[in-house]
Amino acid sequence: MTYFFQLVVSGIVVGSIYALSALGFVLIYKSSKVLNIAHGQIIAVGAFITYALTVWMGIPIFLSLILSMGATFFLAMSVERIFLRRLIGEPIISVIMVTIGLMSILDGLVYLTPFGTENFSFPVFLPSTPIDLGGVYISWTQLMGVIITIVMISGFSWFFKKSTVGISMRAVSDDQLASMSIGISVPKVFGLAWATAGLSAAAAGTIIGNITGLNFDTLHAFGIVVFPVVILGGLDSILGAVVAGVIMGLIQQFAAGYLDGNWGLNGTAEVLPYIILLIILLIKPHGLFGIHEIERV
Amino acid sequence: MKKSKLNLMTVFIAAALMVFISCGTKEAEKVEVATTATEAKTYKLALSLAITGPTSDAGNPYAKGVEDYFKFVNEMNILGEDKIECTIRDDQYKNDVTKRNFEEFIAEGLDFYLNYSTGSTLALKKDFEEEKMPTIPASFHAGNLIESNYIFLPIASYSAQAIGLAEYVVNNHSGSTPKVAMFIHPSAFGRGPVSDVEKAIAAGLDMELIEVVEHGKDLDNTAMLQRLLNKGVQYVISQTVQSPVATMLKDASRLDLVAKTFGENGKITFLGCHYTGGNDLIALAGPAAENFFWTTSYIITSEPGVGTDAQLALAKRYGRDDKAAQSHNYANGVMVAQVATECILRAKARGKAVNKESLYQELLEMNGINAFYPVTTVGPVTYSATDKAGVDTLQLYAVKNGAFKSVGTPFIPIYTGKI
Amino acid sequence: MATNRWLATGNYHISYQDEQKIFSTHLDRSIFIVFLSALFIWPLFFEVSNKFMLVIDNIMIAVVAIIGLNIVTGFAGLISIGHAAFVGVGAYTLASFSRVLGDSNMLLTHAWPLMIVLSGLMGAVFGAIVGLPAMRLKHLYLAIATLSFQMIFQWTINFMDFFDQGQTISIGRVHWLTGEVARKDHYVFWYYIILVFIVLCGFMVRNLLRTRYGRCLSAVRDNDRAADAMGMHPGFTKVYAFGLAGFFAGIAGALHAYLYRGVGIESFTLHESITYLAMAIVGGLGTLHGSFWGPAAIKVLDLQVEILAEKAAHFLPASMNLATALRPFTFGLVIVLFLMFEPRGIANWWRIVKSYTKLWPFRY
Repeated sequence: MTYFFQLVVSGIVVGSIYALSALGFVLIYKSSKVLNIAHGQIIAVGAFITYALTVWMGIPIFLSLILSMGATFFLAMSVERIFLRRLIGEPIISVIMVTIGLMSILDGLVYLTPFGTENFSFPVFLPSTPIDLGGVYISWTQLMGVIITIVMISGFSWFFKKSTVGISMRAVSDDQLASMSIGISVPKVFGLAWATAGLSAAAAGTIIGNITGLNFDTLHAFGIVVFPVVILGGLDSILGAVVAGVIMGLIQQFAAGYLDGNWGLNGTAEVLPYIILLIILLIKPHGLFGIHEIERV
Repeated sequence: MKKSKLNLMTVFIAAALMVFISCGTKEAEKVEVATTATEAKTYKLALSLAITGPTSDAGNPYAKGVEDYFKFVNEMNILGEDKIECTIRDDQYKNDVTKRNFEEFIAEGLDFYLNYSTGSTLALKKDFEEEKMPTIPASFHAGNLIESNYIFLPIASYSAQAIGLAEYVVNNHSGSTPKVAMFIHPSAFGRGPVSDVEKAIAAGLDMELIEVVEHGKDLDNTAMLQRLLNKGVQYVISQTVQSPVATMLKDASRLDLVAKTFGENGKITFLGCHYTGGNDLIALAGPAAENFFWTTSYIITSEPGVGTDAQLALAKRYGRDDKAAQSHNYANGVMVAQVATECILRAKARGKAVNKESLYQELLEMNGINAFYPVTTVGPVTYSATDKAGVDTLQLYAVKNGAFKSVGTPFIPIYTGKI
Repeated sequence: MATNRWLATGNYHISYQDEQKIFSTHLDRSIFIVFLSALFIWPLFFEVSNKFMLVIDNIMIAVVAIIGLNIVTGFAGLISIGHAAFVGVGAYTLASFSRVLGDSNMLLTHAWPLMIVLSGLMGAVFGAIVGLPAMRLKHLYLAIATLSFQMIFQWTINFMDFFDQGQTISIGRVHWLTGEVARKDHYVFWYYIILVFIVLCGFMVRNLLRTRYGRCLSAVRDNDRAADAMGMHPGFTKVYAFGLAGFFAGIAGALHAYLYRGVGIESFTLHESITYLAMAIVGGLGTLHGSFWGPAAIKVLDLQVEILAEKAAHFLPASMNLATALRPFTFGLVIVLFLMFEPRGIANWWRIVKSYTKLWPFRY
């Protein structure tokens, strides 16, 4: 039974990281209907900036996390301004491909730094003895990850519910024409959506980096891994991202815990999300919490 | 609008033309050089490897090692007037690109070839055979040698390494038959040793292989570790790259599963082959790497000696950063370059023309009294028609206080001969 | 018919048949024939290195694959981020024969044209199956569905013992009328074979676009409801577009397998799928000749960058990774620049050149 609960705890930890990674994705999609494939790269860049500030500059990690979130905030915003702004109204394939191109460009830029090919590890700043919850273990790093995720997500929920800017962003995602007519600057909102996504990416990157170590390949793979999560949750729902993230984390842990090693199966946690993704696309394409706007052909 | 597009096009076409012309002139220059310098010969070597893409963290220092050593050879006139020209190409771990590079190397004349990944070595095996091209890959996959005469592994194969680790487990385990799991990379590179370890067990190695785990991009290995523990596994032998091992070690130390001493009861002792260890592992896993056992044939910089001094001096001479200089993959690259240079030296000394045939012959005769002792390895490089693995000797290292320290003396696995 | 059959300054079609012609003037046809025969003849006159031929063969295989991708993404407007997986299906069809029968079985080495077509059909079957979600999904969701096919394909190959878990499965040398094709002739031989396949595929697609099935594709792309109202079946059309794309991809995969004499999973990964999409876009989506420009441009660019990077590496400090950074950077930059400034691709330049020369020396 402890085994089961350990899996649950691990699933929730992994899931909340998924949720945080997926959050940026959803933020961008929600306002501007852009599928940002380069999100994984922004996550990686965020992690690297935090590392550089912490280790090379000697800034305390929480301060450098905030600084790095600021940096990716402006990075993502300028990306939107330079590349995406021109493509408003272009066909979806152009928009997807632009983010793919962006992915390559960011790859190239990262390879200019030592982070491109070398491995780094964050200095230990939390106690390394795990918390023991009756035989179920959780590390301080993981706990911190979960806490940051919860803080970020509740922050965003508040932001969208209460603040004027947040409400205008929701208005744009609801109806661009109508929001324009009441004086909301739609391009500005798009920029802001990207910027907030960048913000969450830096946080996600820092957490993942703390758990796995800093390896560019591992980090940017998260851009693709979160696809099943966002589809399960619904591409335009923050709540969906959170719930689906946790569900996906649990599914992966259970698959690894109960399927792998039996019946000759191995690595099921890798492929299961995509199988679920296909099934969801077939029966409930808008996901758990997405808005029904899929046209049937 | 139309006009501007036309302009754009002319610019583009002009640029393309210029590039082509520049390439053309480059070719012409080369020919000239070749004709004027007849006395001092240039030996053409080539290396195609992943400087970017997957496994680039190993490929990068490897490339630097090869490059630096050949530079050194040329600057020190080790080959007299003759020079080594080694083209290094990035293939991004893609077999198709490796093949293209290889065809180009062949077309430009190639005397000795250095390859990199397991995948591309297997994919090009037939080409090496047909071209009769002596090849040293950076992959120590035992499968490289099957149906092949021209591939030479620099050090003991992954299989030999895994078996060596298994033997160490069997010899140092107290109590009943040790239960072992393997943690492997989901590719040919990772799976290779599994069947050989199984064969060794069938040949009488007294251990039980409980499970083989192929890892993915896992954020959390709790499930796997708990499962292994429940099955009574006490040792995990890893054959993969550093990053997944680091994640696993971090999880294990979080769960307090890592054995403090070798084979501690109720805990798991982690062991790994060449590419799982090194400074990168310590960089990634931090204190969780403590008590990780690792085997390789290279002398590492945390155990200073003549070899490592030479390695560090070489890296310093060519302005490499600390990270590259300390890397065991840098030593790996240097050693492979040393072997190639040694072959050329020997062929020259015997007054033979240096070409792929003579270098192949030199490799085959590199044994017994002719064995080659590079400074960066724990044993001699021996090749023969039946032994295609270079350094057969392995050294076990374990992480103590954040650095790999040797455990015991160099050894040669026994069961590799029995399977 | 008083018009000049050799030169035309505009479109003066007076019958539907006239408009349907593949070559509108004799000049067009002659140029085409001369060009095509030049393609067949030039290897006889120039001694080219194996590497160069390999690069050309590689570009041409990509052309076959891109013709397929253009059908589904260009003409039918369905984004496919899993095209490399379809190419892989073709290649792995051969690989499975090789696994069962041995790599130099008569079937593989002698009946290779049959095997190539069979691989194409296999690709078509998988294409149609993956296309099934297209009956229900559109745009983004469909793109993600194809992405997940790509991931599932990779996982399947990677974990199945039958496919040697993604390791290279070798394919024997093929035989031709004169016996086994030797190493030195290998690349030239496959140059001709691929060329023949390209010509066949090109004509097939060109003719397809002149039939109602071809027009169906663009009708569904432009407005599927209108197409529905006009009696076409959008769902079926989409599935069949995927099937057709899979067919070409399968052929490309089989050619790839024969050319490289082996099949390994590395050639059919997500990154390849993305590269294919980039080729299609740079070439020009929804045009047949764009399928030729795109692969050529991307692959040549890649090679040039490699040469440039090598040169640059001599002047830069050794610790800098500029050389390795340049490749992804230029690749991304080219995609982005094309999308921002020339979304219709190189095919559009071709169109401009054509219309310019047609009217020259007059302005209009």
